[in-house]
Amino acid sequence: MKASELIAQNNQKRDLLTEENEKYYSNLLLYIRTKLSLSEQQSEEVLMEMLDHLLEGQKDGKTARDIFGDDPKSYADEIISHLPEEEKKNSLKFVSQVAVNLLGWFLVIRSIALLVIGQMQEVDSRVFIIPSFIILVLIALMVSAGVKVIFSLIHQSLFNEKSSDKKLMVKAGLFGAGGFLIIMAASYFMKDFGPSFEFPWIASLGVGAVLVLISWIMKGRKK
Amino acid sequence: MSIRSQLLKGILDGCVLAVIEKEPVYGYELSRKLQDIGLADVSEGTIYPVLLRLQKNRLIIGEMMPSESGPNRKYYSLTPAGKEALIVISEEWNQLSLPINALLSKGVDSNESK
Repeated sequence: MKASELIAQNNQKRDLLTEENEKYYSNLLLYIRTKLSLSEQQSEEVLMEMLDHLLEGQKDGKTARDIFGDDPKSYADEIISHLPEEEKKNSLKFVSQVAVNLLGWFLVIRSIALLVIGQMQEVDSRVFIIPSFIILVLIALMVSAGVKVIFSLIHQSLFNEKSSDKKLMVKAGLFGAGGFLIIMAASYFMKDFGPSFEFPWIASLGVGAVLVLISWIMKGRKK
Repeated sequence: MSIRSQLLKGILDGCVLAVIEKEPVYGYELSRKLQDIGLADVSEGTIYPVLLRLQKNRLIIGEMMPSESGPNRKYYSLTPAGKEALIVISEEWNQLSLPINALLSKGVDSNESK
């Protein structure tokens, strides 16, 4: 069974848990899933086993605490320490799928912007290869750093009683705003230079749509 | 941690391998069998880190299969390396248990017929 199918099944089965068990289990689940370096397939398999076990135990009146112990954090840490790392091949597939998807949406949005602004004034639909490349790399770096930071924020806060959701949101929000600001500033201050080519809105839309489609196909084929 | 669970920790891998050797089992079944044998001190969740470690060391292999009651379960069976490891653990245990029994079980002798 593929990881995506296990996730879908997990979502359905979690509804059968009692409120208390659901809370305990969901924390374990988030804690393990937000550890991005782990093999997704292996993580989802053990999470499903634990959920099945909990559901069976629940029938006999046992709680998650009875089954997995009073210290969910060290339990989850132990599970994590025995889970294999994600294979490089799978991580690469995932990253390239996200990159193609982002680039696709970027081009679609650009085409819409060109079209809308073009109604009001003359627009320059040239693309300067070097500055555009720098901006795209910057966006990719920001997105990947953002995902890592937000996941590790959640990971750290899960069993930490002192941390509140509010603080977490503020931290994540600040990071997002900061990243956005850097990209805006870079594209504002960077001068157009070097070789360029004409890339009108309709071409941008076409290429963007194709890239988004490709990324969806890549996602469907994953593993 | 109680003394008993500390002692168990070292030999739990062997117990799990021995249960799996008899027939392929899934997680919940394994914990039931360990309890039925009399290892009630093994808290149920402890088997999952053990199963992961044994898989990582390629002593057991887990496969998703439909179970008798319907849903898919991950059934574990021993690999050839697992069978060898079980033989080694059993031998080691036998070598240890004889002298340790002789040394430590004096107090029990008077209570039990064996």
